[in-house]
Amino acid sequence: MNNKALAHALLWLVALAPAVVAAFHAPPASSAPGDWLNFLGRIAGIAGFGMLLVAAAVSFRLPGVDRWFGGLTKLWNTHHLLGCGAFLLLLVHPLLLAMAAVPLSLSVAIGVLFPPDGGGAVWLGWIALVSMMVFMAPSLGFFGPPKYQRWKSIHRLSAVTAVFGLVHTLALSRSIESPYSQWLWWTLATLALAALVYGLILARWRHRYPYRVSVVHRVAPNVVELSLEALARPMAYRAGQFVYLCHQQRNLHGRGEEHPYTLSSSPDEAVLRVAVKDLGDASRALQSVVPGTAVALTGPYGDFFPKSSGRELWIAGGIGITPFLGRVRWLAGRGEAVDIGLIYCIQDEARALFVEELRQLNATLPGFNLTVHYFYKHGPLSSDFLRYHCRDIASREVYICGPGPLLQLARDLALANGVSRRRLHTEEFNLL
Amino acid sequence: MKKFCYSAFIAFWSCIATLLAVNVLATGEKGATPATPGYSLEEVAAHAAEDDCWLVIEGKVYDISTYVARHPTPPSVLLPWCGKEATEGMRTKGYGRDHSSTAWAMLEEFQIGVLAESAP
Repeated sequence: MNNKALAHALLWLVALAPAVVAAFHAPPASSAPGDWLNFLGRIAGIAGFGMLLVAAAVSFRLPGVDRWFGGLTKLWNTHHLLGCGAFLLLLVHPLLLAMAAVPLSLSVAIGVLFPPDGGGAVWLGWIALVSMMVFMAPSLGFFGPPKYQRWKSIHRLSAVTAVFGLVHTLALSRSIESPYSQWLWWTLATLALAALVYGLILARWRHRYPYRVSVVHRVAPNVVELSLEALARPMAYRAGQFVYLCHQQRNLHGRGEEHPYTLSSSPDEAVLRVAVKDLGDASRALQSVVPGTAVALTGPYGDFFPKSSGRELWIAGGIGITPFLGRVRWLAGRGEAVDIGLIYCIQDEARALFVEELRQLNATLPGFNLTVHYFYKHGPLSSDFLRYHCRDIASREVYICGPGPLLQLARDLALANGVSRRRLHTEEFNLL
Repeated sequence: MKKFCYSAFIAFWSCIATLLAVNVLATGEKGATPATPGYSLEEVAAHAAEDDCWLVIEGKVYDISTYVARHPTPPSVLLPWCGKEATEGMRTKGYGRDHSSTAWAMLEEFQIGVLAESAP
């Protein structure tokens, strides 16, 4: 297990620690089904809430910290899994506790869910549960794909879930002996709060960089590459990383909103460049941004490429070419020979982005081999195509970036052709 | 995963609705609730033994004689509360922790009346 896998495992360990302690400390009172259901109901609640707090703690973007986990997209993948797990367990939690009371009587079971007198802590639990359903509904696509900005606003309701859930848990927890219970929960809650304070306040101040749009280069009818010049200290970054960009142009949609874009420039360049494809309201608006517009960048994030270059195969699809573009521009700037094959998957020549520049680099950068795969001509990417253009694929580090379906296909093909999971690196654009 | 979560969400509310519906139907069969007798604290105090234990909790009188042996703690923990106003014991367990909603719901099963002073 490498360090990044260990870091992810550590998150799960912290999230599940209270449940493990509770399981040992307060096992089922007897072997009766009711006692077992009660035990499982308690453990489900404890595990679910632990996962929720850790998911909250890792949801804040801390530049640099994400690289411990293999990049922000990988970290958020764990955030999604923790969130889904918490959602399922916290749904099961009250049901199991109610079912556990059914052998006593039906009215007792109902009383567990809806206490007739008092039971304030239980009602706080309900507020936490219902607010969780509301803030998770867009993330889980209950009502179709959400709009990014609306999703972001609704997701803030998670703070209500965390606060009410914490009060509910502290008031009712009986599975872990006092004061250890309070220590455990306050530690997790403090972790989440510290990440919130750091992510929302300190990181904004420390990792936010003022820039100005200097050049808008139209790459295609729906793609622009913005060159940005620093207004203060420039951001240090590595090729293939991404930033959150927030523009300040009046009368342009999304002013003041943060959206992620991959850096297409080499870290050695004087200006910083981002390639933006019209994929939604905010990226559509940026197609019309004018030079001179002030922008704020937060980041950098991501850990797609290692520091040094080895024998590599890159597979890019559409706008997924961007991190590779940044990387190859950087390698070309160093002037050293490389051993890299790039398979660039596009539908047809008309949709090729930056392909002239890539062909030029193919001719001038020793060891860089560009292959363009046209969907309309070659059909879906296949094993035969991969093996024909990269015979030693099994012994290379493979990097894939592109739309979901291509990413999945390329990953399956690489694995089928002997590439080990350890050598397979992917960057997913879908952050929701 | 998203579809599974959505299914779980629907299943959750289905279970809650079923439980509530069955409870309403079952309660309807029981008919009218008998009048609740009132007891004074003196009357309650006469039942202060392990096998004859009455408690007053938040204005209601409970006869938990048959439950004392089943309570998770030893009978010696409950015994000092028998025959007395025991709201504090129920709400704090002696160390600031309320009883679970299961415990509160179970308690309702043992109600035999209300405290005379607070009886209507």
